[in-house]
Amino acid sequence: MSYKCSRCKRDVTLDEYGGVRCPYCGHRVLLKERSRDIKEVNVE
Amino acid sequence: MELRVIDKEETELAIEIAGEDHTFMNVLKGALLETEGVTAATYDVNPEQSGGQTEPVLTIKTETDVDALDALEDGADRVIEKTEGLQDAYEAAV
Amino acid sequence: MEDYEVQFVDRSERSARFVVRPITPAFANGIRRAMIADVPTFSIDTVRFIENSSVMFDEQIGLRLGLVPLTTPPGEFERGDEVTLSLDVEGPETAYSGDLVSSDELVQPADENIPIIDLKEEQRLELEADAVLDVGKEHAKHQGGVAVSYRHLQAVEVVGDAGEFDDEEPEILRGVIEEQAADAAVETGGYEPENGQLVPTEAFEHDLTNRYPGKDVEVTDIDGAFVFDVETDGSFSVDELVVEAIGTIEDRATELKESIQL
Repeated sequence: MSYKCSRCKRDVTLDEYGGVRCPYCGHRVLLKERSRDIKEVNVE
Repeated sequence: MELRVIDKEETELAIEIAGEDHTFMNVLKGALLETEGVTAATYDVNPEQSGGQTEPVLTIKTETDVDALDALEDGADRVIEKTEGLQDAYEAAV
Repeated sequence: MEDYEVQFVDRSERSARFVVRPITPAFANGIRRAMIADVPTFSIDTVRFIENSSVMFDEQIGLRLGLVPLTTPPGEFERGDEVTLSLDVEGPETAYSGDLVSSDELVQPADENIPIIDLKEEQRLELEADAVLDVGKEHAKHQGGVAVSYRHLQAVEVVGDAGEFDDEEPEILRGVIEEQAADAAVETGGYEPENGQLVPTEAFEHDLTNRYPGKDVEVTDIDGAFVFDVETDGSFSVDELVVEAIGTIEDRATELKESIQL
């Protein structure tokens, strides 16, 4: 899972041990980034 | 256009015209009423929500010496006369 | 072949008003309905978002894209045909319909100035869209004719003089009249009084007392004469819409004939 730290803006990968915390600056608010996949939408 | 004859006698015809709506059915009915030999023409459509029969059913009655199916063909011809005439008139006016 | 007379009251690329006669209400309504629901136009149907960092959801932008009218030259395509368009705009900038790049020069946004979304700094919209040719009956975004209507042509008859001490009340009328009492009429809106002339009611501000001052008038519908008001969304011209709509009815009659003969 890749996130972005809301304070230092660095990409963060979480593992199951570290809890929710930025390993670079210790900030606890992480943002989930939009997937880079192409998303297909049907216009209704 | 899928046709399904529901009832056919010499001077009477009830036919389902699948896939059509008021746009064409009313024009056709109007044309049939102007067609020689046709004594009665009507159509019926049920709303989709009502369940059951939803395709329009056209009913035609004709004079004794006129076959109802021939009358329907004449009615279709009459519609074509109208559409061609109006297209020409429109293009002439442009 | 049936004989009709068509007279234009006004005519431009995207809107027109014309009188048809003699025409039955059934046929008039058939044409109106066909213009709205049965003449196919291209409209964006599927969108692939490569990047959307704007403030709106993909689906919201998809909906807006679907509503952009695309030019659809009649006779060039068949129902179900697809054309691909792409869009790539980076903020700060507004993405407009004109930023859509089409893979087919025949199918282009009918207007270039329809805003899609306002993008701020660091926001970007990049997408690929498939437009499909379909009819208004399927989805309103495929309607080529918007504001299509008809009404009776009207005749105005002068039945006498208005009483000297009558209250001056306006006689409001909307539509088109065929002048039949030119002697009692005055020139309004550039329309000189002349019997048989078609005068839109705008010419006298929809008030018959302006056109026939001091007269008592009676308005009647003229049988079999209909005034059509047609406006398109720019997918094609009014002329193309009218001719195509009549064509769809003719196609169905032809198909019916062929089906009977089988």
